[in-house]
Amino acid sequence: MGLDRRAFIKFVVGGAAGTLFTPIPWKLADDASIWSQNWSWIPRLKYGALTADATYSKLCPAGCAVKVKKVAGIAYGVEGNSANELSKGGVCPLCATGSQMLRSPSRVAGPMKKDGDKFKPISWDEAEALLAEKLKGLKGQDGKVAAISGDLSGTANEVLSGFLAGLGSKSYFYMPADQTAMAKTWNGVMGGSGQIGYDLEEADLILCIGADIMDAFGPVVRNQKAFAAKRPMEGDKALTLVYAGPVRNRTAAVADKWVAVRPDGAAAFAMGLVNLLAKSGKSASLGGFSEFADLAAKFGPEAVEKLAGVNAEALKDVAKALFTAKNPVVVVGTEPGQGAGVALNAAGVALNAMLGSLTVLPEFPKAVASAPDRAGLLAKDLVGWLNAVDAGKAPAPEVLFVYEANPAYALPQAANMAKALRKAGTLVAFSTFMDETAALADLVLPAPHPFERLDDAQNPYGLGKATYALATAVVAPEKDCKGTPDFILGLSGKLGVDLGFGAFEDVLKAKVSAIGADWDALAGGAAYVSDKKGSAQASLDAGALSKALAGIKGEGLVLVAQAHLNIGTGKLATPPHNLPTIRDTELYGKDVFVQMCSATAKSLGVSEGSKVKLAAGGADISARVSLYEGVMPGVVAAPLGLGRTAWDPYTKGKGDNVSKILAVSAEPGTGFSVWAGSAVSVAKM
Amino acid sequence: MEEKKTTKCGGGFLAFVLGFLLSVVAGWVVFPSLLYSELDQPIQFSHKIHTEDQGLTCDSCHFFREDGSYQGMPTNEQCSGCHSDVIGQTPDEAKYVQEYVQKNKEVPWRTYQYQPDNVLFSHKAHEPFECTECHLDVAKADKAPKYYENKLSGYSRDTMKMWQCERCHAENGVSNACHVCHK
Ligand code: SF4
Repeated sequence: MGLDRRAFIKFVVGGAAGTLFTPIPWKLADDASIWSQNWSWIPRLKYGALTADATYSKLCPAGCAVKVKKVAGIAYGVEGNSANELSKGGVCPLCATGSQMLRSPSRVAGPMKKDGDKFKPISWDEAEALLAEKLKGLKGQDGKVAAISGDLSGTANEVLSGFLAGLGSKSYFYMPADQTAMAKTWNGVMGGSGQIGYDLEEADLILCIGADIMDAFGPVVRNQKAFAAKRPMEGDKALTLVYAGPVRNRTAAVADKWVAVRPDGAAAFAMGLVNLLAKSGKSASLGGFSEFADLAAKFGPEAVEKLAGVNAEALKDVAKALFTAKNPVVVVGTEPGQGAGVALNAAGVALNAMLGSLTVLPEFPKAVASAPDRAGLLAKDLVGWLNAVDAGKAPAPEVLFVYEANPAYALPQAANMAKALRKAGTLVAFSTFMDETAALADLVLPAPHPFERLDDAQNPYGLGKATYALATAVVAPEKDCKGTPDFILGLSGKLGVDLGFGAFEDVLKAKVSAIGADWDALAGGAAYVSDKKGSAQASLDAGALSKALAGIKGEGLVLVAQAHLNIGTGKLATPPHNLPTIRDTELYGKDVFVQMCSATAKSLGVSEGSKVKLAAGGADISARVSLYEGVMPGVVAAPLGLGRTAWDPYTKGKGDNVSKILAVSAEPGTGFSVWAGSAVSVAKM
Repeated sequence: MEEKKTTKCGGGFLAFVLGFLLSVVAGWVVFPSLLYSELDQPIQFSHKIHTEDQGLTCDSCHFFREDGSYQGMPTNEQCSGCHSDVIGQTPDEAKYVQEYVQKNKEVPWRTYQYQPDNVLFSHKAHEPFECTECHLDVAKADKAPKYYENKLSGYSRDTMKMWQCERCHAENGVSNACHVCHK
């Protein structure tokens, strides 16, 4: 039998049929599918030991004790540190994505210098030489070098402010916050020492006036834990929470009672309570209290109704609750946590003093002896200074350092503020991320991400006890960054400014030993908590306060900006992981939503979804209307944190920046810059 | 005509059978040897020396960490507890100390049952089973077994397949829902 064509075909067909009874086609098909799992661009998992290292996170101004979870040394997650007093195992949505932000596309990879419209990389040595050269000629001239810090609790400020003092400059400012407004009131106008604290853990009644303690005021995670500890899921409530403010926000949502108060009338509401408590026989051992009580007498229930929109019954109910509670605490602040005027803060201090719950925390000793006192610096008015620079009434600095802050985006009247910043000869941004201020800067010097650096916090604002915490570098730096205080120490050496230290670690060691705390325990994640109290001696200046209070009108449409931690802070744009948590009623497509009740909407001739233009202080933003009956009439609420012009493709260009239309004015009598509850106009587009 | 037809038919049938048989033989005998590369471990590790001579047990080196995750192959950190210097006679031990411990390099051990990243296999959940129900029994072997690497997929020949996992789950009444193994 020869192999003819027909036999050959049969042979091939037989062979093909035979393969079906072998593993060949099935195995190859299976392997081909597995092969597609091995393409080189498919990310590989990292295998190895799981660890969780304790540190203190300064991703936002609140600060919390956290644990960074790692696999084989690579950070992948964050959890709260339950062994630490500060946050007791809690973590907010911002820190929860902290490890992802280590690899954010907006991280600054290394030092950069502005070159035309672009940046060009330089070395750290070049950056130091360049700045040393610039600063050499400015030594000894006040106002030529200035700094803005967004870190309100770190000892890094002692290095920076000590460096400026060594150069002969007093122009050191903190970003505005409830803390700076209180410092202006307590340490400035009232002449007190130490820092006002709030002992929420011991309270049986917390009255928040403006302060959104669950989302924006002070150490939010600790606030939430203090609340939760006394409000078990089962069993008796040991705490009553009352929220007095214009919007049913996240604090009001869990409060026992929401008292709607116009944001511009918060001080009048507080004075109304002072008046009722004084009438019931409560007094305070603060200087000038009787004049102050006389001033409060002008804020009877009818006056409060007119100025704050709170009816007499509601005011009396709150006063009665305060009067009958054993340990009531009054927390004053603003919805975005940016600080109110002196009048509200002074009334808050007076209320706590009358109720026997005024808490004053002592300052910790300084490590850098030549650094100015912290309280004095906190009391300074950054917005007032930048406004003066913008108007040509104060000289623009030759060199302006911005540390851990994003003033070009986060200050009220943001566009004007950015213009004022640009007047500086050389703007230097010490920033982990390419934020709006870094994008404007002449020099961007990347600071390590909070998990990559040594840092600390002394008395984070809002706590009831003097507290110190240490942050350690729990992950290796992923970029060419350098701790800002270490860079400044190097620079000061070049300029002959002796701060007494060569490395920031030594500064912190000196701090810890001056406090009498244990370095190893702190580095292991414990907090140092002291029961020591500061002096509660201070005076109320009824003269200045009466002028401030006289400015309250209680009419017109006012704007209340709201900060939400999941959206981000002025310093940190929304982490990509948190974008899905932004509601459709806050941002949809590229439109930011402003909230108002249907009565307000009706008076403005707008309805759900209407496109509107909001204008104030010479600036405007566009938005859409969302109807929400949790906003009191006469008030428009708008979320902060959107409308980024820098950062990454996930956040850039989404919504608008509400800070642009927060109109600043000077508080009568105190001259302090205020913008809480500023007037706004809304027009249909 | 008839005769011719029969002859033709029979020849064609034989060709078919021949083709069929040849491909079956090729598929079962030749194909596997073509599909897999035969590889050795970077170091010829003797389990026998460690178990019989030194009295170690499997979990002396292949242990669970405190958090329940499985260590898998030991790292230099564990091995150099004994092997920071050469202590035995074998050339492979000397090679290990010089090339890996002293150079602070981990040994790229080949894992016989390496699973892809899209599978979450918890050793802890399978702790009650004998290791050898899934793994090669190497405890008494003097030489590390050959590693067969699939030339196409890159995986080990011994990597357990999904049907095997599913069958065992089914037999033991454990859910076979996707999310049990794929996170
Ligand atoms: S409040 Fe949130 S972002 Fe801020 S430090 Fe605490 S956990 Fe981190």
